[in-house]
Amino acid sequence: MANKRVETGRGRKPGVVKASKKASTSNRAFYLIIAVIAIGGIAALTYASSKSNEIVNASPVDTTLPTVKSEGYVMGSSTAPLEVIEFGDFECPQCGRFATLTEPDVRKNLVDAGKIRLRYIDFPLPMHPHTWNASRAAACADAQGKFWEMHDALFANQDRWDGAATNNPDKVLKQLGDQIVPDKSKFEQCIDSKEMQAKVQAHWKLAEARHVNGTPTFVIGDQQIGQSLTYDQFKQLVDSAIAKSGKTAPAASGDTAKSTTVGGKKGDAKKGQ
Amino acid sequence: MTKRMWMALISLAGLFLGVYLTMYKFGIIGSLACNVGSCEQVQTSRWSVFLGVPVATWGVGFYVLMLVLAIAGLQPRFMDSRRLSLAVLLLAGWGVVFTAWLNYLEAFVIHAWCEWCLGSAGMVLVLFVLALMDWRETKQADDEVAA
Repeated sequence: MANKRVETGRGRKPGVVKASKKASTSNRAFYLIIAVIAIGGIAALTYASSKSNEIVNASPVDTTLPTVKSEGYVMGSSTAPLEVIEFGDFECPQCGRFATLTEPDVRKNLVDAGKIRLRYIDFPLPMHPHTWNASRAAACADAQGKFWEMHDALFANQDRWDGAATNNPDKVLKQLGDQIVPDKSKFEQCIDSKEMQAKVQAHWKLAEARHVNGTPTFVIGDQQIGQSLTYDQFKQLVDSAIAKSGKTAPAASGDTAKSTTVGGKKGDAKKGQ
Repeated sequence: MTKRMWMALISLAGLFLGVYLTMYKFGIIGSLACNVGSCEQVQTSRWSVFLGVPVATWGVGFYVLMLVLAIAGLQPRFMDSRRLSLAVLLLAGWGVVFTAWLNYLEAFVIHAWCEWCLGSAGMVLVLFVLALMDWRETKQADDEVAA
């Protein structure tokens, strides 16, 4: 190549004209390939982005699977026409994104309006080293009626207690919980004793039994959706599920049942589906 | 096809990969979920952002610069430029160091592999080898001319 470069360069050696012709043909072919790759790449990116609003991971709920009973943590009216279940992992960044960006709208427009009841079930994934600690801490907060406050604090502060942030997650989880629960010492003792391990394990087993393989996974009506959702996608699925169920959703917000927080431990005995 | 042409082609492919991952990072392409050992875990980890800018976007910058340099190197004016060869080599070298750091994080900190990132790592490595060969050849050519 060195020789060729010298030959085809700025005329340092004889044979320049012939070599230049060759080079120019080669250049033309090269720029053609570049143009083809560029067009192909742009087309591929355009196609991929046009598909981004589709819900690709939805599948019909297998009715032979165990139904969700009183496990998990429930927010909303027991008379809401639809229960939406989220299988979540406190250390999963996408669950965090859903909880902090989408869920406030879901609560305001759907839960508070009495259209849905939201049930959160732990599904701690194996690659998240501190997610079990977080699930236990949330269960400990639930024992004092503060699950959803702890849920929000855990997701909002993921980067303070996750596997990349610390080797001592319980310390940070205690700091977070102490600002929320009425009885700090009971909460800290609950974390230290790991007394909520069995409860979290029961949630995990339920998710496994229902073939949940990632988080967040939502069960909305007869659909199980294994991906994060935007508010618009979420609402669309809720509306469609309510329409299919034949139940009537409250017409406007404000005229229906208030949002209530029911800890899983205290039991909302209603069946999930 | 000369080495600089190959470098330009690889850079263009890398550029699209970087743009794809950047769009993915911002949620423009696909929806992310947490699954075991996947790109999502790497892409959503705290290490996916460097100095406030997504790593994928740094990659876009790298490949754009590499593409520009490789194409400039095909022009008669820079055909024999040893400086340009050196610039390409240094850029590719920096790419290798940065990619090695990212792969280390994937292996020992995040404990997950992103296949797109591995693809990019492979391309950076090939770019570096080509840049090294190109630099040695310009050096050789210069020596010949000097002689």
